[in-house]
Amino acid sequence: MEQLTTEMIMVMAMICVAVFLFIVEWIRVDVVAILVMVALPLLKLVSPQEAFVGFSSNAVISIIAVIIIGAGLDKTGTINRLVTPVLKIAGNSTSRIMIAISITVAAISSFMQNIGAAALFLPAIQRVSKKLNIPISLLLMPIGFSAILGGTLTLVGCSPLILLNDLLAPFHLKPFNLFDVTPIGAALVACGIGYFVLFGRFVLPRQGPSEETQDKEIPFSLTDSYEGMGEPRELHTPENFTHYREPVTIEDVRRRYLVNVVAVREPPRFTTFNPPGDMELRDNMDLVVYGSEKNIERLAEEEEMVLKPSLDVFKDALSQENSGTVEAVVAPRSALVGKTLAQAKLADHFLVTPLAIYRQGRTLVTEISNVTLGVGDAILFQGTWKRLKDLQNEKLLIFTTPIDMEEMKPEKAAFAAFWLVLALTMVIVFKIQLSVCLMTGALGMVITRVLTIDEAYQSVDWRTIFLLAGLIPLGIATEKTGAAAWIAHQVLGALGGSVPQIVLLAVIGILSTIFTLVISNVGATVLLVPLVVNMALAAGSDPRMAALVVGLATSNSFILPTHQVNALYMGPGHYRSVDFMKAGGVLSVLFLVVMIGTIYLFYL
Amino acid sequence: MAVITISRGSYSKGKEVAEGVAAALGYECISRDILLEASDRFNIPEIKLVHAIHDAPSILDRFTHGQLSYITQIQCALMDRVKHGNVVYHGLAGHILLQEIEKVLKVRILADPALRVAVVREREQVSEKEARRMIAKIDEERRKWTRRLYGVDPWDSSLYDLVICIDKIEVEGAVRLICQAASQEAFRLTEQDRQKLRDRALSCKLRSALLDLDPNVTVTSEYGNVLVFTRGDDRKAGRLEKKILSVAEGMDEINNIEIRPGEPKPSGDA
Repeated sequence: MEQLTTEMIMVMAMICVAVFLFIVEWIRVDVVAILVMVALPLLKLVSPQEAFVGFSSNAVISIIAVIIIGAGLDKTGTINRLVTPVLKIAGNSTSRIMIAISITVAAISSFMQNIGAAALFLPAIQRVSKKLNIPISLLLMPIGFSAILGGTLTLVGCSPLILLNDLLAPFHLKPFNLFDVTPIGAALVACGIGYFVLFGRFVLPRQGPSEETQDKEIPFSLTDSYEGMGEPRELHTPENFTHYREPVTIEDVRRRYLVNVVAVREPPRFTTFNPPGDMELRDNMDLVVYGSEKNIERLAEEEEMVLKPSLDVFKDALSQENSGTVEAVVAPRSALVGKTLAQAKLADHFLVTPLAIYRQGRTLVTEISNVTLGVGDAILFQGTWKRLKDLQNEKLLIFTTPIDMEEMKPEKAAFAAFWLVLALTMVIVFKIQLSVCLMTGALGMVITRVLTIDEAYQSVDWRTIFLLAGLIPLGIATEKTGAAAWIAHQVLGALGGSVPQIVLLAVIGILSTIFTLVISNVGATVLLVPLVVNMALAAGSDPRMAALVVGLATSNSFILPTHQVNALYMGPGHYRSVDFMKAGGVLSVLFLVVMIGTIYLFYL
Repeated sequence: MAVITISRGSYSKGKEVAEGVAAALGYECISRDILLEASDRFNIPEIKLVHAIHDAPSILDRFTHGQLSYITQIQCALMDRVKHGNVVYHGLAGHILLQEIEKVLKVRILADPALRVAVVREREQVSEKEARRMIAKIDEERRKWTRRLYGVDPWDSSLYDLVICIDKIEVEGAVRLICQAASQEAFRLTEQDRQKLRDRALSCKLRSALLDLDPNVTVTSEYGNVLVFTRGDDRKAGRLEKKILSVAEGMDEINNIEIRPGEPKPSGDA
């Protein structure tokens, strides 16, 4: 057996430091990864080339490409269309949505790279979270874990299982079939989803987009200051609305009821956003209004309109993805100081609706177009994100709420879908390397102007890239110095020759789990399979099962954000390492129990 | 359905004309009773109100806003009576107190000085010289009153829609002319006009309740959405705001109230 060398000790120390820093979070996880990436060549544990090899690795390039493809699909509304039927089934319940998306992602993940499935669904999940106001942290981790678990459903679901038959070949063992692992995979997916349904609320942090935005705001809350003015309501005029009645205009509604009409739809389907003040309300019209609940109810009652419980006709057009309210403050030296909103003609030029002005503790809603603006006046605007962005670009006002703008390009949906199909065909049919196929798809998105190249760059989450690329050299160092082999030998050697098969499989499972947290799952598989096969043969156990445990347990990577999927979801989900340890720790134990249990019951 | 104000020179048979018009149209005829109403409502001796509406403001008044506040109370009582329409108001300053309201038929009744003297002599049992002196004094006082407070001359005929010299037309003729004018489209009140009258009455009511705290307060109302423009004096702002809100609380007609300290007042509001 190899002797313990100084390099091995240094690598193990480095792993300990990295894990310690992940836990205490004195510095952010991606910075820890960069620290590792820089420290390893300085300590001569890897060569400088190896230190940065992560940036050119198949995994990292694939992730970059798949994020760009995902952004393209999202921008064209393709993902929305895919998710809509899933949501229809799931309704509004957080658990049902989580189950529906988790099963979908797990199913997709069983035939393609976990990270691909996870990245493609990220924008959709963000959309769902925003639309239904569910904290994203309650959805992302369960779905991400399902993507990882889904990889165990078939023999092509994740890299370790793809490799498994090749690794068994030298030992002349019977290769596994495509669906041999499916019962175990299904049990694992069911266990993972069940775990989050039952215990999700205890183990998952509740952070949502709302909290994130609040951080960026000035300290008073928008909704409190504007007395519920920030929520759109939909009204419908009856069939005989114009009978025996003086004409009612948009301006009348504003002046009389202090209610702003921001969109109307006339039969058959003529929609007007930010309609002009002199537009008359007619029969069978749907209108979206902003105002206090009391005034909207008064409008509905006095003008005999039907107040709908939630947005109906305008559900999509005025959903939070497309439009909303933002607050903007009149800056010192702004051209607006001393002018009224009517004089500035902001509503006409930018097609946005000013809803209220907040001034010295007072909320003004009556005749606000005639209020002379002063420095520090905060104005609540409603409009589509695009129009609000245009207003922001004019630099007349300081926006205190970030604009959640996303310009959709539904007309490019066919192009986006084509590039995805092409990339997948290249992977599945022509067996070209994943990163090349996905990058082709990503490039196609840019060339066909689904995304601009700048948008493509902006869509990539660099935290994820640095986290993954930074940890790759640590894996290399662990293998190169022989530290991994030394640990494996030590552990398996300590077991001795005659142990019950279930104990042996459990130890192999634990060892693979620990290895996969630090070194890549492929690296762990390549390293461990030959070792455990030999061990099993020596102990008289089934060597195929020992190898299978390694192949599966290298997917048991939930405790640290080192797995690609975890790294990808960490930023958008606002997770901390502690969250992964808390929720992932329990799941890792469950994973081992279910996996060994299923193998023991059905395979031995 | 209309609102008619009849401004009359003293002793010009204006009262008879007003009563005739009210009877012919089935309208309510109001005059001095609004003073009594204001006196009751705001607990001000009637004599002070009479002086306020009759005499030109004194130097002291200009500093204390005393007279202005009385006039506001009178205006408030008047608005409250005319807010539903179908009213003939005769008496001094009707055309001024209701000057912001469109569609009010403003009539001025004049009489030849000789006729007025005759009426005074008959009513007051005084000499011709004394009668002339009395008429001249009253005319001068009223002229000063409107000039000082509103900057207009009550003898300026452009302030009125109809000026009738009663000498030859007689009371019946004047009643006929006024009824005819009132039936014109321009003076017919629509639902919107009545809403404006109600809003005006509301803003007058609120303003008169706030006068003792800040005579410079301006109040506007549209569909019961009230704006109160104050001077933005920080020292008084808190007290004033509290008072405004507590007064407003008792007024069901108010839908929404906002205070706008330091903002320019819109012209022509209560």
